[in-house]
Amino acid sequence: MMFTIIVLLSVIGVFASLAFHRFWTTREETGATILYAELLKKYAAWLALRTIQAARKTSPKNWWGAGKALPLWRLPILEKWLYIGLYGSFAYLAASGFFFAIFIPRGLYGFPLVGHVMAGGLFAACLALIVVFKGRYFISVPKPVNLSLALFDPGKMGITADRVKLAAFWLFVLAGFLLALTALLPMLPILRTAGQKFMFEFHRYSALVSALAATVYVDLEAFGARRS
Amino acid sequence: MSRAGRYALGALGFALAVLALAPAGSAAAAGQDAKHTVWDGNRTTPAHLIPLRDENDAPIIPTETNPLPYSARFTCGPCHDYKTIQGGWHFGAMTATKSGRPGEPWIRFDPKTGTVLPLSYRKWPGSYDPKAVGLTAWDFTLLFGRHLPGGGPAEPSDEEVLAHPEARWNVSGKAEVNCLACHNRSGRQDPSEWAKQVLRENLRWAATAAGGVGEVGGIASRLKETWDVYDGPNLDDHEWAVAPSVKYRTVDFDSKHRTFFDLNYQPSDDRCLACHSVSPKDEARWSADADVHSTAGLKCADCHRNDLGHAIVRGYEGEAAETGNRTAGSFTCRGCHLGENEAGEKSVVPGRLGAPLPKHTGLPLVHFKRLACTVCHSGPKPKEGFTRVRTSRANRLGIYGIATWATDLPAVIEPVYAKGAGNKIAPNRLVWPAFWAKMSGKEVVPLKPEDVEAAAGDILTPEERIAQTLVALSQVMAEDEIPVLVSGKFVFAPNVDGGIDASERPGAKADTPALWGIRKGEDVLALVPEFDPAAADKDPAVETRFQEFLQALTTVAGAPGQPVIAVKKTLYRLVDGSLDMSEAPAELAEASGPGWLAEGKFLTLASDFDLRTVTAKAGTEQTLTEEQVALVLGTLARSAENADFVYISGGRMFRLGKDGKLASKSDAAAEPVTWPLAHNVRPVQQSLGWNGCTDCHSGGSDFFFTKLRGTGPLLTANVEKRSAASFMGLGGLFQRFFGLSFITRPLFKVVLAVCAFVIGSLVFLAGLLLLGRLAGFIEKRSEP
Repeated sequence: MMFTIIVLLSVIGVFASLAFHRFWTTREETGATILYAELLKKYAAWLALRTIQAARKTSPKNWWGAGKALPLWRLPILEKWLYIGLYGSFAYLAASGFFFAIFIPRGLYGFPLVGHVMAGGLFAACLALIVVFKGRYFISVPKPVNLSLALFDPGKMGITADRVKLAAFWLFVLAGFLLALTALLPMLPILRTAGQKFMFEFHRYSALVSALAATVYVDLEAFGARRS
Repeated sequence: MSRAGRYALGALGFALAVLALAPAGSAAAAGQDAKHTVWDGNRTTPAHLIPLRDENDAPIIPTETNPLPYSARFTCGPCHDYKTIQGGWHFGAMTATKSGRPGEPWIRFDPKTGTVLPLSYRKWPGSYDPKAVGLTAWDFTLLFGRHLPGGGPAEPSDEEVLAHPEARWNVSGKAEVNCLACHNRSGRQDPSEWAKQVLRENLRWAATAAGGVGEVGGIASRLKETWDVYDGPNLDDHEWAVAPSVKYRTVDFDSKHRTFFDLNYQPSDDRCLACHSVSPKDEARWSADADVHSTAGLKCADCHRNDLGHAIVRGYEGEAAETGNRTAGSFTCRGCHLGENEAGEKSVVPGRLGAPLPKHTGLPLVHFKRLACTVCHSGPKPKEGFTRVRTSRANRLGIYGIATWATDLPAVIEPVYAKGAGNKIAPNRLVWPAFWAKMSGKEVVPLKPEDVEAAAGDILTPEERIAQTLVALSQVMAEDEIPVLVSGKFVFAPNVDGGIDASERPGAKADTPALWGIRKGEDVLALVPEFDPAAADKDPAVETRFQEFLQALTTVAGAPGQPVIAVKKTLYRLVDGSLDMSEAPAELAEASGPGWLAEGKFLTLASDFDLRTVTAKAGTEQTLTEEQVALVLGTLARSAENADFVYISGGRMFRLGKDGKLASKSDAAAEPVTWPLAHNVRPVQQSLGWNGCTDCHSGGSDFFFTKLRGTGPLLTANVEKRSAASFMGLGGLFQRFFGLSFITRPLFKVVLAVCAFVIGSLVFLAGLLLLGRLAGFIEKRSEP
């Protein structure tokens, strides 16, 4: 139950934050007021409008078109299949894992569980290859920090969408590592019951972090690129 | 009156009431104390040197004439409240409001009618209420009293006694709760003696005899129903219908007529095992291991404890909530070893009796959610075809004497892993029911075996008829001769119980015609040898033997005709006690061998039906053929118009089709009856999973895929077949697929480990890089 509540709150929080980021960076009316209540009102109106617009636009045809337009299909063959493996396995892992964790009291079992385990292996392998071959493109070069009060000033921290995206990527990779580790360790004759319980919970929360990081990354990648 | 005045009067009244009630309260407390309901703290068992009292609460003087047997109610009752004890687990089934987790039912087993009927006064699935199948407390006591500790149905209420005047409670007395059955530490306690006395209907004497307190003679079942215990000895009969009497062991009594009971507070294991033994059917005693707890020095009663109410802790999860006895939660596997209740909360006292904390290293959590502890730790390990066991109560074990009491049937199977309470899988014992029944709408109402037997007439007795013939012939056999019947691949010989035993003849063909013979050592000679009655030089000894055989056969009760022997158109028979030899009439020209002459017809000594039936069943455990069942169903149908009769065996329901043929189908009433098992607990090295996941998770593991065939008294190929996984409510296909996945598991683990290592290393490096740059270390080192 606790996990379900945390998942719901996290998802709402991340979606609201990303939406607000878009609202803040794309809408001119945000500069018209400094009153939080007014701002919140405008944000709510914008969000409602965008939701209706998005809902109206949503159709299988549009989804299919959007899918076909993805740059993924234009990648070289190895790279393409590597990403298909990663995205496909991650989508199944997230869907099966969260669905059973939230809606099925018994948890994941049967053929979906077998699929989950197999997809987990594929995900770990794809992720490892991506980190090896693509990780270098996600290393930023921050300046050395100086010990000053500016460290605590959010305005001067240099938090940009690009940096958040990089952080999201590495957070996704870190969560992927923890997912692989928490899947592997319970399979080895190492952990007792308490350890198994801990690993089980850790696996779930790593999955949540992984999903949220992926969401942030995809949002910033997709909509950031469009804006630029 | 003023308010103050009313208060003053009220206070005065209250004070008077307190004063008036105070002595009564003290008396009640004293009474309670006399019953020892409150423990004084001492951990020793007091020496029980006590006077015996009979069922009239009169003191027993062992040396007086015809003393009555001792009564636990009045001998033990003064210190231990008898009524409280009567409600205990072992005695209170008839009146219990809660049934608890299903346990082993009483199984009415009657091989002749092919009845294996699970019975219980508790409302357990698959078991029939004895009252619903027409069994009175008296019937139940005589059937199962052998393994009852007294009380309950053996000590019925006065209403029950009056409601069934045909019962002989007045002669037998009631079998009170037998305290000694469990608490007697003396080696004289004899469960076999108890069973013997119960069978003799010496119910009120059974505890005295079994406890070794006195010697009991006489047999109440042979007395007239008008006999009363105060009538004393039966003066008309000193040999057969001898009235029961007690001769106390006077050496055990002191001058005050007190006797010493060597008692245990906690019963020893032997006392429990007298009624609760379970052993693999074909295992030698020396190789059978005890429960790991017993081996570690624990007694049954260490965990299965109780207070004066004798509500024994059964030790299953959920018992504490069900009974309100919170202590019970400490004596489940989980409670003792993990300190957890059934919900997994650490709310009970762990480690009682020194229970070690299990490591369960590497065991995925799902096993704790879906499986009872007993799955991996209790009962025999799963094997092809399951393990056939015998239990004390079902198979009448532990009763020793000249006669053999123990039986291989009914067939009890374990461990059948089935889904039980809390959707957890647990190992169970299983028995397939078998009985005759009348359909009442959709309800199946079992028939009493006696009623079936009466309706079936001769159909169920071919063995008896052949046995009677062989027993009759054995009267005239020499010491080294045994009369036998050879049929098919088997030789049938009479046994000491008046039945027949079949032994296989190596190399014999199944279609060998029947032959009555004489076994001498290894050889079987024809009862009627090849010879020519008309020959001048015939051996006169042959005809002398013929005369003996014919004389013997005249003693066969219910014979269909006059015994005769036909040899080459010559008929030998007895006329006025002498052998008569005459030419066989033309219609008997084909007759040969021993037989019966009835209404001018020659009948073989055993009918074709009898031969076919006994030969088919020989060498099997089955006691009925399909032909017999069809015939009995036909007879039952003729006995009651518009009634639908069925027979259940091997998981199928059989009924006569409109074409007169036997047809079978599945039915809920034919479903096997299961009850969870907990013992024997195996040592940890023998637990499932000790050798790894593939103990259960493999493509063909016995745990999931062994097959169970329905067993029953009916010899038929139409039996129910189930896989082990089906009892668990699991799909066999998935388990096979899942099991096969364990072949690639080691490789999967390696791949996952490599991936985790690579990803982890790069994340670590990226982290170091970030840290190095933030700290300015990397830039500084790269400067010239």
